[in-house]
Amino acid sequence: MSVIAKVWIEEDCITCDACQDICPEVFQLTDETSQIVAAVRVDGVFDRNTGGSFLKADFGKEFADYIEEAAEACPVDIIKFEMTGAAAPAGEEAATPVAAVTAVAAVAPVAVSAGTSDALATVFSGDRTLTILFGSQTGNAAGLAEKTAKLAANYELIANVVDMDGYDPASLVASKRVLIITSTWGEGDMPDNAEDFWQGINSSSPTLAGVNYSVCAIGDSSYDEYCKAGVDWDQKFSALGATSIQQIQLCDVDFDEPWAAWVKTVLPRIACVDSAGVFNESLVEEMSAYGAGGDDSVSSGDFTPGTVVMDEISVTIELFRYCPSAAQSGWDTISCAVPAHATVEDLLIAIQQDIDGSLAFRRGTNGGTATTGVRVNGRIVLADIARVSDLIGSRGNLKIEPAPGLPIIRDLIVDLSGYEAARARAEPWMRADPREGARLLNGAAVGTMDASLATELHRKSDVLSYQLIQSMSDTSSYDKAYEGPGIHLQQWLRAEDPRCGAEQRKSILSSLNETDGVWAEADLSSIARYGSDGRLAARGLNSARAHLLNTSNYGGKHGRLVKWYGRSVKWTGNVNETTLYRQVLGPLGLISNVFNGVSARMILGFTRNGGPPIRGLQGLLMPPAGVGKIPNMVNSKVDAHHEVVNLFNKIDKRF
Amino acid sequence: MVVMAKIAYYPGNTARAASMEVEDCIIPLCKTLGIELIEIPKASSDGGNIISQASPKLQHSLVARNLALAEQKNIDIMTTCATSHAIMCDTADVIASDSVYASQLNNLISLTSGIEYLGESKSRHLLHYLVEEIGLDKISAAVINPIRLNVAGYYGSNMQREGACGDDDAFLPNYLEQLINALGGTPIDYELKCQSVGAPSLLTLEGTAMAMTAAVLADAKQNGADIMVSACTISHSNLDSYQSRAGKLTGKDTAMPVVHLAELVAFALGHYPDRFAQLRTRALVIGS
Repeated sequence: MSVIAKVWIEEDCITCDACQDICPEVFQLTDETSQIVAAVRVDGVFDRNTGGSFLKADFGKEFADYIEEAAEACPVDIIKFEMTGAAAPAGEEAATPVAAVTAVAAVAPVAVSAGTSDALATVFSGDRTLTILFGSQTGNAAGLAEKTAKLAANYELIANVVDMDGYDPASLVASKRVLIITSTWGEGDMPDNAEDFWQGINSSSPTLAGVNYSVCAIGDSSYDEYCKAGVDWDQKFSALGATSIQQIQLCDVDFDEPWAAWVKTVLPRIACVDSAGVFNESLVEEMSAYGAGGDDSVSSGDFTPGTVVMDEISVTIELFRYCPSAAQSGWDTISCAVPAHATVEDLLIAIQQDIDGSLAFRRGTNGGTATTGVRVNGRIVLADIARVSDLIGSRGNLKIEPAPGLPIIRDLIVDLSGYEAARARAEPWMRADPREGARLLNGAAVGTMDASLATELHRKSDVLSYQLIQSMSDTSSYDKAYEGPGIHLQQWLRAEDPRCGAEQRKSILSSLNETDGVWAEADLSSIARYGSDGRLAARGLNSARAHLLNTSNYGGKHGRLVKWYGRSVKWTGNVNETTLYRQVLGPLGLISNVFNGVSARMILGFTRNGGPPIRGLQGLLMPPAGVGKIPNMVNSKVDAHHEVVNLFNKIDKRF
Repeated sequence: MVVMAKIAYYPGNTARAASMEVEDCIIPLCKTLGIELIEIPKASSDGGNIISQASPKLQHSLVARNLALAEQKNIDIMTTCATSHAIMCDTADVIASDSVYASQLNNLISLTSGIEYLGESKSRHLLHYLVEEIGLDKISAAVINPIRLNVAGYYGSNMQREGACGDDDAFLPNYLEQLINALGGTPIDYELKCQSVGAPSLLTLEGTAMAMTAAVLADAKQNGADIMVSACTISHSNLDSYQSRAGKLTGKDTAMPVVHLAELVAFALGHYPDRFAQLRTRALVIGS
């Protein structure tokens, strides 16, 4: 989408009224000339805007098309504008700078205070676009990128937060200011969303001579390749001719403080890069003061998490314990007072330190670590972010157990090796090759995805932890072959990703359709009950089922169940269980009910109370019909049945 | 939510088919407690979360139409089936949270039925309606034949989620236990009262569904239950008709009378004393 940064009127307006007719919100005629309305401008002045004041962010986006139309309609060609994101010639549309914008920071440039020097005002008058690229595996880098973008507004920077996933390397060339925030994945690898971009940069090697940049790298110092992805980016930008505006910042697992230190220094420095890409170092001090907000008119945001302090609450904790050497399990009961704002992990640490040092549980490395899942009062949560006050029962109790559906190693630690092995077999990661379509210069296949689809896929995969999803199924404990919803959801999301190759998609769909695939889940409602993550997972798995059914012509028991359920509802408005049993189980399956005790329980009155005896006697004639008393052979139609039929015909004629 | 003294009745997918005992009991129990049930003769099946596997939009449309039919009468809708209740709550949630999708659904049901669902009428499960609207005191005062059995309440997984279980706790529910107390029974606590019994997969994954069913019954029995009361009509079939098969396949002791919530309340209020007597006998003989 086009976003116009500023618009102005040159001399020789003939006051023809065309621009005001097209976009009165931006253009207003005086007796002598058309002018730019004050309400849409950052400086709040009503004139021709030859000084180049920016449009307020929303207006630049909202009225972009109208402004362009007005410029085209101007008979004397004096309406000029500049797009956001590139130093495009006035009056010409710049290339769209980003391919996959996940979030555009709320741009609220501060009003230029009266004491600003001319030099600083000159810097402010040009293009103020800042591109913040993030490479993120778990969302931490993405979160920091968004926070950085908000703070950038204090320096009159217009920040675009850009997911590296799908970003076009060619777009970098026109950027004057770039910040990179990236994590490192595994043994020094790029995060998944950065891999294609990294390959693209390496193969195309664009010249970045006009680019000013800095890198904030997140990593874990316990790994050999600490922050390697960030270091790689820093070296690559430098090698391609970009100018490092500030030294790379390496952040360990507690990244908040080093990031805050980096952003405090890097923003005023990069804000001193003017629209020509020249770094005005002499202005850094003044810029720092400006961004720090010494003037009351300067808006500033509270972008760091506030400290939440709650009163202490009394808790009775029931804590599951398991000792593998003795093969014994049991419950410890502990009564204590804890601050209500404490997390479950805080509580467990306190118990371990003060009461029982042998307590075993997984500690998180930062807020929301995927492997810290436990069950607390029935809810499946991540221990390092779940607050005690949100979980405590009405009787002040807190029952803490291991995450369900997985073997227990000790106390609250579950064995995730089975999950990891299943994931390795499922291969839900990106395999772009072999595939038709786009290729990099080095010959490697590269998938493409438009921004809206990328956003949709991110929305569908926006769960805290796939390990938690894996624990949500009630079925897992009863079917050891079932690979689990956490695995299947990842597979399905990858199959929906247009960047993966056809071979991978086919392989994934085939895997999902196997007996241990999505059909092995006996009841999706057991997953859907676990909050927004559970609902998201259940909907995703249901979509997978729908896709498989629609491409297999409703084959197999599952297909027949869905097909005949739909048909029986369409026929009368009600389900006909007799039809279902007959069609799904087939004659042999039906007769088996006679011998397995189901029909016998119905006929002999061991089950169900009431109902006319004739319905029980029907079992002698048509024994297999199934559930409880023998159901109706033929349903009567609901009133206005044609409305139901019409609804089916409007939406889905397959039934 | 619409304030009303009467409520529409949605029997779910099986109460007027295989689970006729629910239909037998709901009408007299409501009459005793002063609940006026309003029929919605045009209401269709809600798709049972089976149709949604082919087309979520079709299932949502069927449910939105049913809710709109109740809304036409300016009343909420009550059901005896936890699955149907959860499906209606889910549809209402989707409609409330996605206005574009909501307008698509409303266009469809407007074209076919000339009505729209505005989100006013809500689904209520019988359990929540009894506890929250009628009140345990009133129910307790109306009891004629106290249950006097150890009763395990079965909630299932469908309605035990935020937004679908009234003011009860989604994960540590106790409405059934409170109601059992009010009816003169002794509630039994057991671990698996919210676990699924795999009812949607009874025909397709029988082995798994039987294992899940057996686990619930055996857990309740090991904790001292004489009978089980189910808040879900569809799960009731697994727990009752298939319990011997579940026991046989898993080697667990699953023998236990299972009744639906509507039956238990009706019996306690003095309806069908012969059936209640039969239930007590079964509890003593079969369930021991």
